[in-house]
Amino acid sequence: MATIIFIIFAGMAIGCAIAMVSQTNPLYCAISLIGVFISLASIYVTLAAPFIAAVQVIVYAGAIMVLVIFVIMLLNVEHAEPRRRRLKFLVPMAVGMAGILLAETAFILYSVQAADTHLPGNVSNVGLTHSIGEGLFTRYLLPFEVTSVLLLMAIVGAMSLARRSNLLSASARVVPGAQVLAMDIVNPRAVGDLRPVETQTTEEAAHLLGVDFQTDRSEPE
Amino acid sequence: MGPQLSWYLALSAVLFTIGAVGVIVKRNVIAMFMCIELMLNAVNLTFVAFSSYFQDVTGQLFVFIVMTVAAAEAAVGLGIIIAIFRNRETLDVDDASMMKL
Repeated sequence: MATIIFIIFAGMAIGCAIAMVSQTNPLYCAISLIGVFISLASIYVTLAAPFIAAVQVIVYAGAIMVLVIFVIMLLNVEHAEPRRRRLKFLVPMAVGMAGILLAETAFILYSVQAADTHLPGNVSNVGLTHSIGEGLFTRYLLPFEVTSVLLLMAIVGAMSLARRSNLLSASARVVPGAQVLAMDIVNPRAVGDLRPVETQTTEEAAHLLGVDFQTDRSEPE
Repeated sequence: MGPQLSWYLALSAVLFTIGAVGVIVKRNVIAMFMCIELMLNAVNLTFVAFSSYFQDVTGQLFVFIVMTVAAAEAAVGLGIIIAIFRNRETLDVDDASMMKL
């Protein structure tokens, strides 16, 4: 029974992973990746690690993928154009590396199979939230605190990276209502005269341009 | 006969391989990013399998920390992706090659 469940979810994970790599639309990639995460969470449950399974679904399939999909939809990029000539060698290189890694996989399978590696039954409480919390707050307290510092750094870094930089230079001073117009805009007879005419307020600019600008807007009481 | 440790290791290695191939083959920055997430997940599977095999909780604590790192990576990485897109109007990694010699 456990074998059948493992085979089902392992097949699902591998199939979704292959679909992810083979698709060109990043949104479909993201959905396939969510499939991988869900099937891995199911495998964690069969490995008697319910806490990790829940965190997998909440953090990976929930938070991280929502962020990724949000960015995909925010940037809204069309399908990629064909690869340029000088980077064509990457695909055979990827195939070669995949071959090497799969050979390593076969080696692991072969050598570990030789040892008696039957997983113990689900009798322990290793994967439960209780034991994880106990480990996290006693023996591994320092890594836990370092993790919190890491998250703080990530927050600061993400904010400073994603902040939109100002279009004006730091030295530019802008007064509300101040405008700089070319002379031939202000005076239609001075064609080609591009000397700047500065005005300090919007009313002044409207007066120069001969536009009727309502200055006496009554304050609502 | 239930599933053995080597099966989980093999699954993990296959997923890691697919992720590595994706990082090399893909050109879209976001797709590469997702392939890296897949590789992290493959390593997590190894950790959980060994933790379950040795009846030791340490592996699962590692997974917890790896997940935190992945979340931090997602936040910072997507910030970088948005910054690249804002500067270059593209998500193609071949266009963001100014640091290349």
